[in-house]
Amino acid sequence: AVGGLGAAGLAREGEERFCHVTPWPLGGARWAGMAAESAEDWLLESLRLYNDLHVFELQEPTRVIEWIGEKSVCVAGYENSRRNEILQLLLPQKLYVKEKQGLCPERDFKVERGGFSDRPVYSLRHVPDTSLLVTSGPPDSSLQVWQLAAEDTDVIKCASTIPTGNDSKKPWTKIATTLARTPCVLHGSRVNNVQITEIESKKNIYTAASSISDEVSSLEFLDCNTLLACCVNGQLCLADVRQPQSPLGDASIPWALSGEQWCMGVSPGVQGSDVNAPAIARLSSGGQLTLTDLRNISKLLKSARCKVSAASPSTEFLCVSWAPVLDGCLAVSGFNGTVHIYDTRSWPVSGEEAEPLFSHKGHILSGMDNGGGFPLVTTHAWHPWKSRMLLSAASDGSLHVWDWAESHKNS
Amino acid sequence: MPEIKVTPLGAGQDVGRSCILVSIAGKNVMLDCGMHMGYNDDRRFPDFSYITQNGRLTDFLDCVIISHFHLDHCGALPYFSEMVGYDGPIYMTHPTKAICPILLEDYRKITVDKKGETNFFTSQMIKDCMKKVVAVHLHQTVQVDDELEIKAYYAGHVLGAAMFQIKVGSESVVYTGDYNMTPDRHLGAAWIDKCRPDLLISESTYATTIRDSKRCRERDFLKKVHESVERGGKVLIPVFALGRAQELCILLETFWERMNLKAPIYFSMGLTEKANHYYKLFITWTNQKIRKTFVQRNMFEFKHIKAFDRAFADNPGPMVVFATPGMLHAGQSLQIFRKWAGNEKNMVIMPGYCVQGTVGHKILSGQRKLEMEGRQILEVKMQVEYMSFSAHADAKGIMQLIRQAEPRSVLLVHGEAKKMEFLKQKIEQEFHVNCYMPANGETITLFTSPNIPVDISLGLLKRESAIGLVPDSKKPKLMHGTLIMKDNSFRLVSPEQALKELGLGEHQLRFTCRVHIQDPRKEHEMVLRVYNHLKGVLKDYSVQHLPDGSIMVESILIQATAQSEDQGTKVLLVSWTYQDEELGSYLTSLLKKGLPPTTA
Repeated sequence: AVGGLGAAGLAREGEERFCHVTPWPLGGARWAGMAAESAEDWLLESLRLYNDLHVFELQEPTRVIEWIGEKSVCVAGYENSRRNEILQLLLPQKLYVKEKQGLCPERDFKVERGGFSDRPVYSLRHVPDTSLLVTSGPPDSSLQVWQLAAEDTDVIKCASTIPTGNDSKKPWTKIATTLARTPCVLHGSRVNNVQITEIESKKNIYTAASSISDEVSSLEFLDCNTLLACCVNGQLCLADVRQPQSPLGDASIPWALSGEQWCMGVSPGVQGSDVNAPAIARLSSGGQLTLTDLRNISKLLKSARCKVSAASPSTEFLCVSWAPVLDGCLAVSGFNGTVHIYDTRSWPVSGEEAEPLFSHKGHILSGMDNGGGFPLVTTHAWHPWKSRMLLSAASDGSLHVWDWAESHKNS
Repeated sequence: MPEIKVTPLGAGQDVGRSCILVSIAGKNVMLDCGMHMGYNDDRRFPDFSYITQNGRLTDFLDCVIISHFHLDHCGALPYFSEMVGYDGPIYMTHPTKAICPILLEDYRKITVDKKGETNFFTSQMIKDCMKKVVAVHLHQTVQVDDELEIKAYYAGHVLGAAMFQIKVGSESVVYTGDYNMTPDRHLGAAWIDKCRPDLLISESTYATTIRDSKRCRERDFLKKVHESVERGGKVLIPVFALGRAQELCILLETFWERMNLKAPIYFSMGLTEKANHYYKLFITWTNQKIRKTFVQRNMFEFKHIKAFDRAFADNPGPMVVFATPGMLHAGQSLQIFRKWAGNEKNMVIMPGYCVQGTVGHKILSGQRKLEMEGRQILEVKMQVEYMSFSAHADAKGIMQLIRQAEPRSVLLVHGEAKKMEFLKQKIEQEFHVNCYMPANGETITLFTSPNIPVDISLGLLKRESAIGLVPDSKKPKLMHGTLIMKDNSFRLVSPEQALKELGLGEHQLRFTCRVHIQDPRKEHEMVLRVYNHLKGVLKDYSVQHLPDGSIMVESILIQATAQSEDQGTKVLLVSWTYQDEELGSYLTSLLKKGLPPTTA
């Protein structure tokens, strides 16, 4: 009898070096191993759980996924000890065509462009409507500006460096970009060094007038005139760029949970007209999720607890983001090898544990041969218009694109 | 400087065919001879006039190597050997030799019989061409002639695909053809040893892709089949006789088992004898590990998969059928297609590339109204899907192969240089090798520094190794001898031997230097003084005081001469042969510095 998709259990034989066969799905003689079995099970289950599923293996893991338009994403390595690659990947055609254009046979990413970075890339942002990328990462707080488009080459070149004037001992710089008349970048590592710098001239057009030295975990433009910072301690700070010297607003934290570290996700819809939806989601290293309305950032609208078995060891990879299409849906990752989708509209008010609408377990279960480690999801990103599609990356180099099937509860 | 030249034949940026000329140490080899499937005229054939403007190519090429049976690698072979003219050896693996003529004949039929073209090779030409084929085994070194040897390595990709090493002396080139570095169910991953060729030539068509995992592609296949069957549709999967079909069968079988599905799955055998023949061929090509998988299941002993009878096509309800041929251009698969095409619940899944002119190609291009025989129009309402299971190396795979083989340089064909600069830099930085990307028709010249083996005479070796300290095995030892180059052979012999062979007498050169020493005493006292001095200074050398009053340092003679005019000055004659020049000069300058004062 043949068990599972892995065919007969074959004992490893002596070196008959004829052709190098690594039995699928894992190397070596583990045909009938446990891991193989569960990978098989998951794959068969995935037929029911997902409309679409793609599993890719990058040569180096990434902790950034940044959309360039609606057809490409940028990823980059974060190794300390060697050169890292920045890649611009074109999605498989099926995933970006809007009308059914006949057959789209290819399921592969195309590396449109690539570049080399001497430092690890911890943060990467695209300046909308330009061909510029901004990155940041250790060993210091400066920003690197990259040029994507070039007629005669596919190499992404480093165009310039923006020094931020921050002490290099401070934590690495967070960055944010927005559509503006002149390309600029919002950056900072602590509330009192948040600035907006014009990329071409390197001139500072806004500096936060604040004495708060708390470390910043997330920075966002709410629109080209309003910025929002989330501190590691959970505090939110708001400022209007048009009023220079306006202090980065101080919002108190009524429910301060000491010891936990926070990051935030801002609903993209807030830049539009829908002012009714809560715009700001904050996620803590202990799994707390809180929702706050822009109009009253010191008040908590709703909160819940994520379904995670253990607190995240660090906030390095904590990531929370709003769905661009599905109202009220959030994606959460960074605790382990899964990505959870929560529907905030169905949360109980009191802060209890919420049941995820869906849990993507592919990074743990798809059976990549990682030498037995437990991958950690480093980042995720929603597809701009396919309502249930996300991209997620993990510490083992995996990159998944998945579209979960509606009204299927995770078993 | 010895050079290796590589020219991908073809024009412009077209990627459709492989045909590469390599010139190595005076030998000319043609790698693959593919047809460009996109053209209907002579542009589909490589332009062989590059090799020679007139006449047959036999004199200009030492051999031709075909990597695998895909038409874009072997499609032009009969045209090349029979219509242009080549009578030399054509090398390929055994499965390739068996399968090539089938595909070539199929292709010929489609092009000539169906499309009515004229300037094309005939069935007889295919047969005559295959007579020139020499089949090789994996890892077997094949001597093409005294100097040129080739060796095939497993490439994965398709049944019989191989990578080839071409070697002349110590210069070598490895050509990969198409290969994949992630194993398949029925084919393993490509493998090569650390053969360190001067040049690795690799296809780069997929170099800039990151491939979706095999399992996700299989999942997609299963999903499509399942969905069709669930809604009561019939699924047709046109396949080539063996290989990928096997894999899909195992996949479906297991899926059916797990999901407890009842719809029947059929496999249409087509020409049974051929199928069995390939089956046997397939088994001997793979190794023990793969063999075991198939020994346990005879191709026709699946639990859920049964042999097809053409009557079944009319049965109601859902079913899945694997049928040959793969491009829907004739036979069973076309018959079934015609019956099922009108129902939108049904589905056809094309698992591979289809040649122009076939029904498969037409429907993949989106045609929904087909003209069949007798001017009948067939309306295609069934769903048309394409599933690419073919295995190719992506950027990661290319890096892996380079890591395995450790070439000194890399050459990528079929990529647009502008769009591959990143990959080129990646390869150059990671492996510290040059990476070339010639356009079709462009020649790349590489200079190599080959090692030249030289025979050393035993006597010389013994003599040289006897001098000085015991040689350190890790350090190069300097030897002296005479290099004789004669009739393509190199020998290192002692000078005496060389002179003897040349019939020349040996001339000796002797130098004598006069050194004036201030010493009023008698001659023999001075000599003693000199002797003691030298004995003390030259501790590592042999210093002898000879009975006739002269001193010998190694083979250098020091004598006191007859009186000079001045009583206080004595003259020493230092005499040495040309070979002792260094020591002789040193001694002379040492003596010229004077002698240490004697103690009273």
